[in-house]
This record gives sequence, C-alpha cells and structure tokens, in this order.
Amino acid sequence: MSHQKNKLMKEPMIQIDTGRRDFFKMSAVGALGAAALLGLAPANMRTQAYAAGSDAPEITEVKIGFIPLTDCAPIVVASQMGFDKKYGIKITPSKEASWASVRDKVANGELHAAHILYGMVYGVQLGIGGLQKEMAVLMSLNNNGQGISLSNQLKEKGVVDGRSLKRLIDHENRDYTFAQTFPTGTHAMWLNYWLAANGINPVNDVKNIVVPPPQMVANMRIGNMDGFCVGEPWNARAIYDKVGFSVASSQDIWVDHPEKVLGTTAEFVAKNPNTSRAMIMAILEACRYIDATENRAKVAKLIAGKSYVNAPEEVIAGRFVGDYDNGIGKKWKDPNYMKFHADGKVNFPYLSDGMWFLTQHKRWGLLKSDPDYLAVASKVNQVKLYTEAASQLDISVPKEVMRTSKLMDGVVWDGKNPAAYAAAFKIRA
Amino acid sequence: MLKVMIVDNDLVRANPLKQSLLDSGYDVIAHLKDTNNLNDACKRLQPDVVIIDTESPSRDTLEHICVMTANDPRPIMMFTHDGDKDQIKLATQAGVCAYVVGSIENDRLQPVIDAAVARFEEFKHLRSALNEATTKLDERKVVERAKGLLMKQRNLDEGEAYNHLRTMAMQRHTRIGVLAKQIIEAAELLL
Repeated sequence: MSHQKNKLMKEPMIQIDTGRRDFFKMSAVGALGAAALLGLAPANMRTQAYAAGSDAPEITEVKIGFIPLTDCAPIVVASQMGFDKKYGIKITPSKEASWASVRDKVANGELHAAHILYGMVYGVQLGIGGLQKEMAVLMSLNNNGQGISLSNQLKEKGVVDGRSLKRLIDHENRDYTFAQTFPTGTHAMWLNYWLAANGINPVNDVKNIVVPPPQMVANMRIGNMDGFCVGEPWNARAIYDKVGFSVASSQDIWVDHPEKVLGTTAEFVAKNPNTSRAMIMAILEACRYIDATENRAKVAKLIAGKSYVNAPEEVIAGRFVGDYDNGIGKKWKDPNYMKFHADGKVNFPYLSDGMWFLTQHKRWGLLKSDPDYLAVASKVNQVKLYTEAASQLDISVPKEVMRTSKLMDGVVWDGKNPAAYAAAFKIRA
Repeated sequence: MLKVMIVDNDLVRANPLKQSLLDSGYDVIAHLKDTNNLNDACKRLQPDVVIIDTESPSRDTLEHICVMTANDPRPIMMFTHDGDKDQIKLATQAGVCAYVVGSIENDRLQPVIDAAVARFEEFKHLRSALNEATTKLDERKVVERAKGLLMKQRNLDEGEAYNHLRTMAMQRHTRIGVLAKQIIEAAELLL
C-alpha cells in the first residue's frame, strides 16, 4: 500500500514531452481519459452524458488560488502529490498577492476556486465593501493555527497578556494600532473578539489597519503597529526575527474555530457540479494526508518553497505540529494546533460556522441590519455536495449542520439564535 | 480638481502616468513607491482616487480603508460599481486597479482611468518586448552549446554543425532554439 502510494506521488515528476505525458495520464486514470474525450465531444453529447448519470468532471483543469500561509497546504498537497489525478482533474495552484485579487479573480472566473478566508466569502455574498456575488463554500480547509502578536515595545511596557494590554491602553494615552488581513476576514474577527473579550473596543479604542500577511513582520519592525493578527507562519516569524511575541493563538479564542475554506462562486458550482465534487474529494484526501503526524514534516518542507509560503522550513514546522513558544519564555505542546481533517470534523461546512462570521460582521457594523443568517448560510455552504464527496471517501459526515462551541469569554455559540447572539455583546461598534 | 494618488514601485510605469495626469490638469498629490506608509498617506492626503497595480499586495489595505469609511463619504470601488463592463475588462487586462473614495461622477473619473490604462498597457508591451529579447539571447546561448556538442560528437566544423541543426529543425517544424535545448537535454541524459 505504502509502496503504491509512493509510486503515485512520484508520478507527477515524470517529464517527457507533453503529448506522451497526456497519454500516460489518460491511460492511467480512466476518468480523466473519459473526461478528456468528453471535452472534445460536442456540447449536446456532453449534456446527454450527464443526463445519463455520468459524473465525469465538466472541466478537468482547475486553477485554484492561494495566499502564502501555512494553511494553503491542502491545495499544494492535492496538486503536488497527485491526489487531483485520482479524481480526474488537474489542479494548478496559483499564488496570489492579495485577498482582493483572490476575490476578483474568483468572481470573474480567472480562478476556478480558492483558498479563502471564511468571513470574506460571506462578505462578498452580502456585498460588504463593494462587490456582491453569489458565493459557495465547498468545504472547510482547516481549524486553528492563527495568532495574535504584540510588538517588543509593548513587552518593554510590561504587556504580557490581554489584561496588561488593557491596563496600558487605559493609562498611557496615545494611538494604538492593530493590523489584520482583510476587513471581513477571519483575522479581523479574531483580533476584534480577543480585544473585546479583554475589555478593549477594537473600533473606538484602537486604530485598525490592514497589512498583507507576508509584510506583517516588516511593518512591525519599523514601528507601524503595536500588534497584529495573522495566520502562521507569520506569528512564529515575528519571534524568529525578534520583533514581537505571541500573546494569543486563535485556538485560545475558539478551540477548533473555522478558518480557511475552499471557496468559489455559486455559478461555478451550478455549471460544474462534478468538477466541484472532484475538487472536494482531491482536497479532502490531501487534508487527511496532511493531518497524519508522520507526514507533517514532509508537508512543511514542501510548502516552505519559494512558489508557496516562501518562509524558512523551521519557522513553519514547529507550530505545524503543535510545538509552541510564545517568545517570552513559555513553551508548550498545544493539542489544538492547526488541524486539517480530524476524521472530517474539520472539513464539514457547518452552517453555524458560516453564520458566526455574519454575526460578527453585524456586531462590528459591517452589516447595518441582521441578514437572514440561516438562509444565507444554507445557500452558501454546499452541504449536499460535500456530503456526496465525503461519503465516497468513507469519511463520516456529522448528522447536524450546526455545532456548539464555547468561546474564550464563556459565551456559547450554537447557531440557534444568531440575531440575539450578535446583539448580546456589550462591546460592539 | 480630483486628487490622485499613484501607488507603484515601478518608475517606468508610474512616471509617465504621473506626467500625463498632471498635463491633463489633475492634482497628483502623491506617488508612493513603497507601501509601508500607505495607511498614513491615505489618512493624511485624503486622495479621491488611488491608482494601483491589480497584483499589488497592498490592495487589501485600500479595501479596508474603503470599508472603514463606508458611511461618509461613500466609497466605491470602480470595478464593482455601476461602471461600464467593457471598460472594467480593459482596465483589468491592463492590470490597473482604482479605488475611489467619495462619490465622483463617472465622467470626471473616466480620463484618469483612461490615462492609467494607456500607461499600464504601454508598460506591458515594453515588458513583453524585453522578455522576448531576453529569450532570444538565451536561445542564442543554447544554440551555441548545441553546436559545440554536435561538433565534438560528430566531428563537424562550426558551419556544418549549424547547417545540421537548421535542417533538423526544419524537418521537425520546430524553432532552432527549441531543438538545441532538446539536444542539450538528451546529451545530459545520455552522455
């Protein structure tokens, strides 16, 4: 079995001339061969094939965007280790420079799908900040593994945690600046939640800016900010570069919180249900592969490369397996490190997860009124398609589309009464 | 007068754009080459329009500024507002992205966007011409190496080796540079 797996992984390395390679692909993977043939057939014939129940992918080559972050691993692994081929598709990862660019390219079809911030998909669905487009969450890619870092200057002032930060802000009157990665994204919501849970109003008490993840550390070094919230490896990098320390991980805020998703447009899913399912299956299998402890080191090495995260392997590897060091003397083994699968619990697109981001958008004034939370999430999260894909891989699917979580401030979120939940926070915009 | 800010680290592209906007009577209030102070610059200078490369990582910073000032004045992102579809496509292809703060009528904005699209297009052509020149230079080096290999392996003089390459390339309907590369790759495998 392991021998066979190895062979499969090496296959993408075979470099003969293109024609020969295509031939290999077609003979090795029946589905792809069939799909390629179908691709050549006239449109009416294709439609008939689907009517007859074929599940051949409508598009066999998909371009999936990603931002250089540790949690882009499922996209990279699916494509580089040949999981895509098993399901009759070829995934080409496309490194993107900004979330705005990811959004625009997904919206206009230049990218077929993307590694994207959970909250951002919902922001686009509701047209926050401009572009409105019907979106789709195919699956969740990971839980945990983001973090909040504070600058060395704050450390010198005696700040070590949320409480001491609150004390400093109350007593030393100046502007405090905190950075995150996108206004509707996940990091903005983690940062706001953490500040508010510590009695700091993120809208009124501090200045809020956005800085691209790979530029966070450099910006902190030149004193542009007091703290930031970003995905790994950039919190680890701040310590490695001696410009800051970790004050909280995102799993401290919410254990097993939703984070990145595989996102696309509703239009893409409607036109290409089979390709969408194949993408889910390939990436699900990649997620399962990454979650196996014995594979993590190899994956860290793979994604550290210049074409992907472009950060030293040692900076990625530690927190990737739960070895945490906060940079001010505390080291621990975090059981809630970045998870990609957990027998499918990570990947299921829980409606309550999507709704949570809407409640926070409302809380912080990005949404002026309550949307129909459940209706929006039911439309965006592709529970049916995910369930079909997971079932084919014998991955268990939760019975409930909601889950119950208790966040750092003790407040429970179960998806049942979103408007009341959003309204109950004392600290808000 | 519209206050325009250009964010671009490429001077070859930004300088002519700046000039043509100035010539058309726009107030180019800033040209940021690096984006470390983008937040402050926006706050301090209050541009009406920000012109930026579509592929710039700093676009997210501008998205945030637009969302955060959503009430007063109302910001629009040109490509997603009720702008003309063809015009948007043109701009995207050229790699231009504009963030517009405040409500500015399309006809006041149009010339700025047009100028930016023109300059970005010009730059794209320049760059592709440069790439082509580099490729040609690389090809010449590869052809020289392949010629050397043939001379050694088949005891040919330089002229004969080149003729041989050319004939083979013609027979295979391929460029001489491509063939030369294949010969070198084969030699690396076999020799």
